[in-house]
Amino acid sequence: MSTVNAKDVQRLFLQAVLSRGVLSGKLAQALWAKAKDAVMAVDNNLDISHSGTREEWEAFVIKVNQALDPLDLEFRHLQEETTGREMYAIVNRKGDEVAQMATDYTPTEIAFFKALVDQIMSAPRESFSLSSLAALREVSVLKKSNMTKTQAEVVLSSFVAKGWLQKSKRGRYSLSTRALLELQPYLKSTFPDEVIECVICFEIMTKGIACTGPNCQVRMHYHCFTKYTARNRKCPTCNCDWPGNDPHTMTPVGESAARDGDDGRRRIRKSVENSDDEEEEDEQADEPSQPRTQQSRKNKTKAAQTQSMDVDEDESEGEESDTPAKTQGTRRSSRRG
Amino acid sequence: MARATTRSQKPRASQSQPQPSQTQRSQKNRAHEEEEDEDDDQEDQDEDEERNMDVDDDEDGDQNGKNELDRAAYALVRLAMFTEHKRTPLRRDEISKKVLGSNTRAFPRVFASAQGILRNTLGMELVELRSRAELDRDAAGPGGTQNQDDLEEARKATGVRKKAAAAGSKTYILRSILHERLIEEAALTHDEILEEEAADALSDDDDDDESGGITAYGSIISWSSADHVGALGVLYVILALILVSGRVMGDQDLRATLKTLRIPATGTIAFAPTATHRTLSLDQYLSLLVKQGFLDHRQARKAGTRGKRARVQAADDDGQTTYEWRWGARAHSEVGEKAVGAFVAEFMVQEESLPGGEGGEEDAGAEGAAAGRAKASKRKADAASRLEKMAKGIERAAGGQLADVM
Repeated sequence: MSTVNAKDVQRLFLQAVLSRGVLSGKLAQALWAKAKDAVMAVDNNLDISHSGTREEWEAFVIKVNQALDPLDLEFRHLQEETTGREMYAIVNRKGDEVAQMATDYTPTEIAFFKALVDQIMSAPRESFSLSSLAALREVSVLKKSNMTKTQAEVVLSSFVAKGWLQKSKRGRYSLSTRALLELQPYLKSTFPDEVIECVICFEIMTKGIACTGPNCQVRMHYHCFTKYTARNRKCPTCNCDWPGNDPHTMTPVGESAARDGDDGRRRIRKSVENSDDEEEEDEQADEPSQPRTQQSRKNKTKAAQTQSMDVDEDESEGEESDTPAKTQGTRRSSRRG
Repeated sequence: MARATTRSQKPRASQSQPQPSQTQRSQKNRAHEEEEDEDDDQEDQDEDEERNMDVDDDEDGDQNGKNELDRAAYALVRLAMFTEHKRTPLRRDEISKKVLGSNTRAFPRVFASAQGILRNTLGMELVELRSRAELDRDAAGPGGTQNQDDLEEARKATGVRKKAAAAGSKTYILRSILHERLIEEAALTHDEILEEEAADALSDDDDDDESGGITAYGSIISWSSADHVGALGVLYVILALILVSGRVMGDQDLRATLKTLRIPATGTIAFAPTATHRTLSLDQYLSLLVKQGFLDHRQARKAGTRGKRARVQAADDDGQTTYEWRWGARAHSEVGEKAVGAFVAEFMVQEESLPGGEGGEEDAGAEGAAAGRAKASKRKADAASRLEKMAKGIERAAGGQLADVM
C-alpha cells in the first residue's frame, strides 16, 4: 500500500477490464490512458509516457497477455459482427473443473444457456438466431428444472445484460461478441457442421452474407464484405458476379435469414456421432422444407433463397406470430449493411 | 467465463485425485512438452509422493516440485478469481480438493506462491476472514476472564472446535492491494471513458426496449457493472445501522428501522439486469448477505441466562427467542468499521448543511442570497469540525474505537 509504481498501470488496467466483461478497443485504450494518468496523479514523480499509437497499444496487449498466459486467460479481441468494431475481453482458455464456477449462474441456468446456444447454432438457413418465444420454450425442455417462464425471462435478460447473448429489435436472440470470443473452442467442437467461417478473416461467423452463387461456400462478415467489394465484384471462389457492394443484395447469414415459421417447433440435435444422412432423414421427416445439415442447406436452398429473399421479407412482415410486432423499417435496418 | 466449454470435459480432475500424476495430466489440456517429461517422472513416484514433495524443494536440480508448485499456484489464483466473482468466500477445503489434490501439505507454499502472482499480476491478494470466535474476542475487548467464558460458549454454540477457531476461519476473499489513492482515482468520472462507454452501449444492444440496463459512470473501474450498486447501498446502510447501534442490532430493531427507511418486511431490493433476479425480498436479500459473509445473524443472548447462549435448536419453539444482527467477517475485511463510520459521518454532516435539512436549523428562513452565501462559507468552515465531532459520536455509539479493515 505504501507506494505506486509503473507496474500499477497494468494492474489497474486489468482490474478495470475484469470489472466490465467485454468492451470495445476504444474504451480499452481510453482505460489504459486513464490508468496511466491515475498512477501519475498519485505519484507526481512517476513519468509514464503515452503516445497512444497503435504500436504502443499492441505492445501493451502483448505484455498483458504474457502476464495472463500462465493463468490460462487471454486478453483477446474479435471484430463485432454487426459493426466491425474491435471488441476485447479476458477469456478463459481452459475448460477445467475450476472454470465451471467462473460464472454466478446456477447449473440449471447454464443448462438453459447451453440449450439456447444449441438452438441458435442449429437454426435453419444459417439464421443463427432464435425467437424469444422459442427461447422461452427451451426452459420446459430442461431436465430437472423448475424454472418458470417468468424466471426464464429474467435469466434471458441477464444473459443479454452480461453480454452473452444479443437481442435484436425484432426480438430474436443470437450469439454476442463475448460469446463468440469465449465459447469459440466449444462451438467448434460441439457444432462442427454448423459453425461457419468468414473467408476473409477466417474468424467464426454468425452474421454476414453468403455468396449468391449456387453451391458456393463463400461467407463473409458485413465488414469483410465491404472491404472486399471495394476492390472486387466477383466471388473469390466461384467467380460469379456479385451485384455490388450492398450487402442487402446478397444471401443473408444471421437473423435476416430467419423466417417466422422457423421456430415453430423445436430442433432436436442428434449426438455428434450420428451420421449426417441419418440426421437429414429425421429432420426432413419433421420439417421437409427446412433441411438443416450444412450440405443439404447449401445444395438445395441456396438457389431458392436468392429468389425468395424478398418474398420472404414481405411474407414475414404480416404474420409476426412470435416476434414482437415492429415496424417494417426496423426489419430492414436490423440488417445493418 | 467459458461456462459451456466446461461441460464437454466433465469427467476430469475430480475423479483422479488420489493420483497426482493423473490429475496433473488431465488438467493440462494443452500438453507442454517439458511437462510431459515431468509426468513420466512423477508416475514412478506416486507411492511416496508426499515425501518427495518435501524433498523436491530442497534439491535445486529437481524441477518436479517447482513445476508442480507453479501449476498449483496458478490454479489457486484462477480458483480465487472465479470464486470472488460470485462473492462467496473461498474455503480452504475447496482449495485442497480442487487445487492440491493429495498434496495437502503443500498448502503453505502453494498459497504463498499464489499470493505472489496475485499481487504482482492483478494487484490483489487473498485475505483470511476472521472466524466468528476471533471477531467475538475482538469485540469483547482486551482481557477479562468473563469474556473468555463467553468465547467458550460461543464456540460451543457455533460448533466450532477450539483448535479450528484458534487457527482462523480458513476462508478467504480477494482484496485489492492497489494504493488507496489509486483506487480513489479509479472511481472518478473521466469524460473520455464516459464517451467510449456511451458509444459501447449504443450499438452493443440492439433492443432498446429493455436495454437501459447499467448506468456507466466513466470511472476506470466500473463498479456499476461489476456489482449491484443499489443493493450494495442497502447493505452499507444496514452495516451503518448495526455499527451505530453498538455493533449489535436486534432483529426487530433492524426491521423497524428499515421500515422507516421505506424498506418494509414486504419490500424488495432491486438488482441490475445482469442478475438472474430482478428483485429479492428483504428476507432473501438478508440471507444472501449472511451467505456471502457480510452479515452475521444469530440468536441473542437471553436476559435470564446471562453470559450463556441458549442452544439454537432447543429454543426454537420457545416464543422468547430473539435474533440479532452483527457484521459478518467479510464486512470487517472488505469494508472496515472506519470506512463505514466515515460514510455515516459524511452523510450526517452533509445532511445537516443542506438547506431545509433536518439538522439545518440556521437556514430555516433563508432570506437574501448574499446572506445565504455567507452562511454557506461559514458552514464549510464548520464542516470539518462537525465531521470530527460526528466521528467521535459514531465511535461512542459503536461502543469503542472503530477498527480498520482486518
